[in-house]
Amino acid sequence: MEGCKAGDRKMQELLYKQTASKMLAVCMRYAKDRMEAEDVLQMGYIKIFQKIKEYRGDGSFEGWIRRVMVNTAIESYRKNLRSLNVVEIDEAYEQPSTGFDFGTLGMQDLMKVIQKLADGYRMVFNMYVIEGYSHKEIGETLGISEGASKSQLSRARAILKEEIIKMEGFGYATYTG
Amino acid sequence: MQPIRDKDFDQLFKDAFADAEVTPSRDLWSNIESEIAPKKKRIVPIYWLSAAAVLLIATIGVLIYQQQDTTKRGKQLANNTIGKDKPAVQEPIVKDSTIKIVEPVENIAPVLSVQPKAVSAIAKTKVKQEVVKPVEKQHIVTAPEMQKQETMIAQVEDPKKDIKAQIDAVILAQPKVDMVTAAIASPVKTDEPINDNEQNIKNIRNVGDVVNLIVNKMDKRKDKLIQFRTDDDDSSLSSINIGPFKIGKRNKK
Repeated sequence: MEGCKAGDRKMQELLYKQTASKMLAVCMRYAKDRMEAEDVLQMGYIKIFQKIKEYRGDGSFEGWIRRVMVNTAIESYRKNLRSLNVVEIDEAYEQPSTGFDFGTLGMQDLMKVIQKLADGYRMVFNMYVIEGYSHKEIGETLGISEGASKSQLSRARAILKEEIIKMEGFGYATYTG
Repeated sequence: MQPIRDKDFDQLFKDAFADAEVTPSRDLWSNIESEIAPKKKRIVPIYWLSAAAVLLIATIGVLIYQQQDTTKRGKQLANNTIGKDKPAVQEPIVKDSTIKIVEPVENIAPVLSVQPKAVSAIAKTKVKQEVVKPVEKQHIVTAPEMQKQETMIAQVEDPKKDIKAQIDAVILAQPKVDMVTAAIASPVKTDEPINDNEQNIKNIRNVGDVVNLIVNKMDKRKDKLIQFRTDDDDSSLSSINIGPFKIGKRNKK
């Protein structure tokens, strides 16, 4: 880390190699696909090497890197804010009546489902569920109201559950058939 | 089965992604590396380029001014000498343009070869006192330098020769001297700019050549004000010499 602060290229590469795969997993959750995620990852590391002198040592270093990465992802989303596809689907996704078993679903399946979400839903879901932001923080960061954040979260959840059931049903069908 | 609660649902995602890892593409680090590498290399040439551009404009301006000046003088000179030429050589009438003057130059060549004879003839026959007159005459003709040299030679040789013997011959020869010397003067002066231009056009392949050419004209020092290496397609700066401030690959050798 000291080497990184001094701008040592080899130390920077070492830091990258130690953390990149975890950070790409973070970026993937915020991105639509792998390409977009790697773009964010690249921007994130450039920012990390530029700002590394600002890291005071409070909290874990990896936590700091992760925060920079998440901020980069959010920033990139706000820049692109492509005519936000907030599809009105109030009735389409009701609470599924049946429960389901997550055991058959791996991280990659969940990643796929998250990436399928509309951009706005994906942002709110990631920030609230995984990163632990409050609805107030999310509202301030994304420039939406606290209520909008809450409603988008519940819609995101509903969509995810629906998609997971579809996947499970598909998986179950392949097992039996 | 009971419908899953939001809290549990969220927790499942949180757990799934807690230690998630996705291996990045292999070339991603080299992309990052090139982005964080200092970009100083690219900035420097822009300064040189702008400096070179300013210099180029300035020198072109001066050059054009000078050329206008010399062509004016050249034309005047051409007019004078041609006037003298006409009766003696009997060439077709030549007009004012400098380009056309080139043609008679070659035809005059045989006349030039006669020149040494004529000079020696004068030398044999002239008397000191008499020499003064033709010199003054020739000055009026405005034919430059060459004349003076000839008359100087004549002066040196004069005393040795028999004074009285061939005065008549001098008087006969004199008009010839005038026109011969005039003829010598005219080809030298009018030739110069034309040959120059031809060379210029041949050598110019890129911007570096243009700059070199102009600087060569203006700056006669060994280390020029600015020079480009132009052997490859791209011209690149090879040396600079602005008074105390010198840069040059030549120096390193």
